[in-house]
Amino acid sequence: MKGGAASVSMVMPMALTLAIGPVLLTALWLALSPLLANTPWVALWQDPRFADATLHTLWTGTAASLLAWVSAGYLLRSAFIRGQTGRWLNRLPLLLATPHAAMAIAIVLWVAPTGWLLRFTSPWLTGFDTPPFWRTTQDPLGLGLIAALWIKEVPFLCWVAATQLQREDVRRRWQAEFAVAQTMGLTPTAAFNAVVWPQLARVLRWPFIAVLAYGLTVVDLALIIGPTAPPTLAVLAWEWLRDADAVLQAQGVLAAWVLAGLTLLVGASSWRPIIRIAPFGVMGRAIGGGWRLLFMLYAAAWLALLVGGFLGVWPFPNVRPEQWHMGHWGRVWDSAESLWRTVALGLLAATLTVAWLVAWLEWVPHRWQQVMRPLLIAPMILPPLLWAFGLYRVALWGHFEGAWFGMVVAHAIMAMPFALLALESVYRASDPRLQAVTLTLGRHPLQYLLSVKWPLLKRALWSAWAIAFAVSVAQYLPTLYIGAGRFVTVTTEAVAQATAGQRGLMSAYAALQTILPLMAFAVAVMLGRPRRFMKGLP
Amino acid sequence: MPFFRSSDFSKHSQRMAVKGWFLSLSLVLATTLAHASDAAGRDWRTLAAQAKGQTVYFNAWAGSEAINAYIQWVAAAVQAQYGVTLKHVKIADIADVVNRVRAEKQAGRDRTSGTVDLMWINGENFAAMKRDGLLGEPFTQNLPNFKWVDTVNKPTTLIDFSVPTDGLEAPWGMAQLTFFSDSKRVPNPPIDLETFAAMAQQFPGRLTYPRPPDFHGTTFLKQVILATASDMAVFTKPATDADFQAATAPMWRYLDKLHPALWREGQQFPNTASAMTQMLADGELLVSLTFNPNEAANEIASKRLPESVQSWQFKAGTIGNTHFVAIPFNAPSRAGASVVANFLLSPEAQARKANIDVWGDPTVLAVSRLPTAQRALFQGGVKPGQLTQAAPVLPEPHASWVDKIEKEWIRRYAR
Repeated sequence: MKGGAASVSMVMPMALTLAIGPVLLTALWLALSPLLANTPWVALWQDPRFADATLHTLWTGTAASLLAWVSAGYLLRSAFIRGQTGRWLNRLPLLLATPHAAMAIAIVLWVAPTGWLLRFTSPWLTGFDTPPFWRTTQDPLGLGLIAALWIKEVPFLCWVAATQLQREDVRRRWQAEFAVAQTMGLTPTAAFNAVVWPQLARVLRWPFIAVLAYGLTVVDLALIIGPTAPPTLAVLAWEWLRDADAVLQAQGVLAAWVLAGLTLLVGASSWRPIIRIAPFGVMGRAIGGGWRLLFMLYAAAWLALLVGGFLGVWPFPNVRPEQWHMGHWGRVWDSAESLWRTVALGLLAATLTVAWLVAWLEWVPHRWQQVMRPLLIAPMILPPLLWAFGLYRVALWGHFEGAWFGMVVAHAIMAMPFALLALESVYRASDPRLQAVTLTLGRHPLQYLLSVKWPLLKRALWSAWAIAFAVSVAQYLPTLYIGAGRFVTVTTEAVAQATAGQRGLMSAYAALQTILPLMAFAVAVMLGRPRRFMKGLP
Repeated sequence: MPFFRSSDFSKHSQRMAVKGWFLSLSLVLATTLAHASDAAGRDWRTLAAQAKGQTVYFNAWAGSEAINAYIQWVAAAVQAQYGVTLKHVKIADIADVVNRVRAEKQAGRDRTSGTVDLMWINGENFAAMKRDGLLGEPFTQNLPNFKWVDTVNKPTTLIDFSVPTDGLEAPWGMAQLTFFSDSKRVPNPPIDLETFAAMAQQFPGRLTYPRPPDFHGTTFLKQVILATASDMAVFTKPATDADFQAATAPMWRYLDKLHPALWREGQQFPNTASAMTQMLADGELLVSLTFNPNEAANEIASKRLPESVQSWQFKAGTIGNTHFVAIPFNAPSRAGASVVANFLLSPEAQARKANIDVWGDPTVLAVSRLPTAQRALFQGGVKPGQLTQAAPVLPEPHASWVDKIEKEWIRRYAR
């Protein structure tokens, strides 16, 4: 009996592991294999753009990540000290829903020499009748790229912190410790930095590595707003991977692995020091000012995207276009198929991700989980280029490229680490005593899960689902590769239009790209509301 | 317009050698194809019957709203006329598709197990696919409408960047490098490279070209090479290092002088030609460029450019070529793809494509040989922005030049 139960209990972990482990490992292996036949180290090293591109990558990726780290710390502290964590953190999904590419497009719409900022101030203030020669788009220092990454990653870090701060037990403990530190004579700022931040920072370490990895390896964002002469190493690797020349393709694969190496290197060397980087600044009077600024930046971005979709001929320095134009949204409507495809793909991938993850967290032994964890996190850490390339080879081999099955699995794999971050600690922290209560009532363990544990975790589950949906919607490279070009989504359209420079269409698609995850987060908030029970005492 | 352009081609005595070579080759091919078509005519009905119910994945560049809308119209038409479902696979660069077909071949995905049925292609991408055996059997001889193609006056319909098509790709449209600018701001557009450079000096920061290896950017470079080189014969042959050095030296000298006066001092270049067109509309640039002589007219018709925009070419001629559709070796719907290729060549489809309100892409057909009713489809008045004075067509250099030009440009200017 006992042996039978044990073997049954092993079936589930085995099945769950086999469903994903081999795909991930094969993808990595296939992404590595081009280098066995031909390792173009010399060609890569001697390429005239390699060194500068690598410097660009390191500079933009680390600068943006560090800025995001200290800014997120600052915002979290101001919210925590004033006890406003709920107020601001609950609204984070609004910001989280905006995809990176959409934010980059919005920034371009604002800061370009023909952008809103200069139109509002010209010519009465600046004296410009024609657009100035400012290098504000795709600037050589990558400041635009840094800004886009910075603005986008702050909400992400705060959101992961929220998964902790919204845990009743953790928040109470931290508030007590914070109070104790203050009674020892520390100012609120110093107290937060001394007792709360070190604990919070430890939780945020993996997300920070994810932010870093994203910044170092992102392609679509860098295509829209990154420097061009040379571009970042990720863009260069992508160019090479797309080349018709097989040798240059191998060079692209190698460059992608160099990126992976850089990520691991920078990640490993920041692992210890990063928790010692406390948010700077002293709490001033303007509590919440930072939060308001952040939300205003996003509001400005959304406005630019919404209006941008209706712009016709719009010569500088006019603030109003000569003609308003409905045609862009008309075109978007014509390709409504891509919209439904994006939604269906997101729904399927997010549901698969969360279902798999819950089964994984529930039934797989803890030690096993620890061993597999790096593999599950890997899609967030290693360059998307490698995954796209490797997963495409797997799909080719299994004949599911360009098919729904392949797309859903690929998107689920890319969404997995983010859903894991959202769910993991909350899931593990659920009170085991509740299960004992259910069992003593003579109920089946499954009933405990269905009517006690999962309902209690509803909020975290839906939140993980929404983030998985958002990640799926924003996928660019995997969609392009594994979809064999046949899976046109809102994101592939937005990036294509953005690099083609068609302002109206790219704005319309970027707006759409934002609205979809926003709806998913709204659904998550609605469905994730806790149940109300009658209190035991009046 | 390059529609009726090839007579201009013969005016260029210095390019007589090239022309003679083109003509003899095209005649040989035309005769072969004529013979083949007798036998193939009978097979057409069989092919059309096979095609019925097939789904054709057409991988085509999707950077233009007008083109995407036209392909939607084609999809509706082939569905109605042949029962073929056409799906537009929107792509940013056809090189991706070449790569995909190659990866499929490496993975052993032969015969009918590919993902691409039809692709929009020309130049170095066609050369690469032909060389690597990614295109399968010749098919154009089976297309009834191929007989209307003007292979005599438009030799590039049979010779793509100096590489013979051998029936592996069907011509779709004609292209010629064309510039456009707002006549209110540029009353006298430059007529050659010298006046272009002078204009750059006069309006520093207001001229540029797309960053190679963007297709239009590379074409601009080829235009500069042809206009500055002394010996044209080398361009019909595969590029050797020695030839490349000698033939491109004047171009690099020209660009070295030009770049400091360009947009962002030539340190940065726009991503694409359509980005330049947007910047022209905003007033950030004075000139944009295109491969479609009617593009500006089409943009005006769709209200993305003001009506005062005019199109022009360099007086001594600009680069011209033909763009094609090809069927990869492992296309699952080969018959359906042939039917679509044939429909694209029909006077009905070609005339609609040439219509400036639709796309404005010049036809590959010999309009004068068409029956009267179908010839009438091509009539239309002159629209604002349309090219009024056509310059001669300069043939593309051999496909092998492209890669060398792009690499050297990147080495010099993109680091």
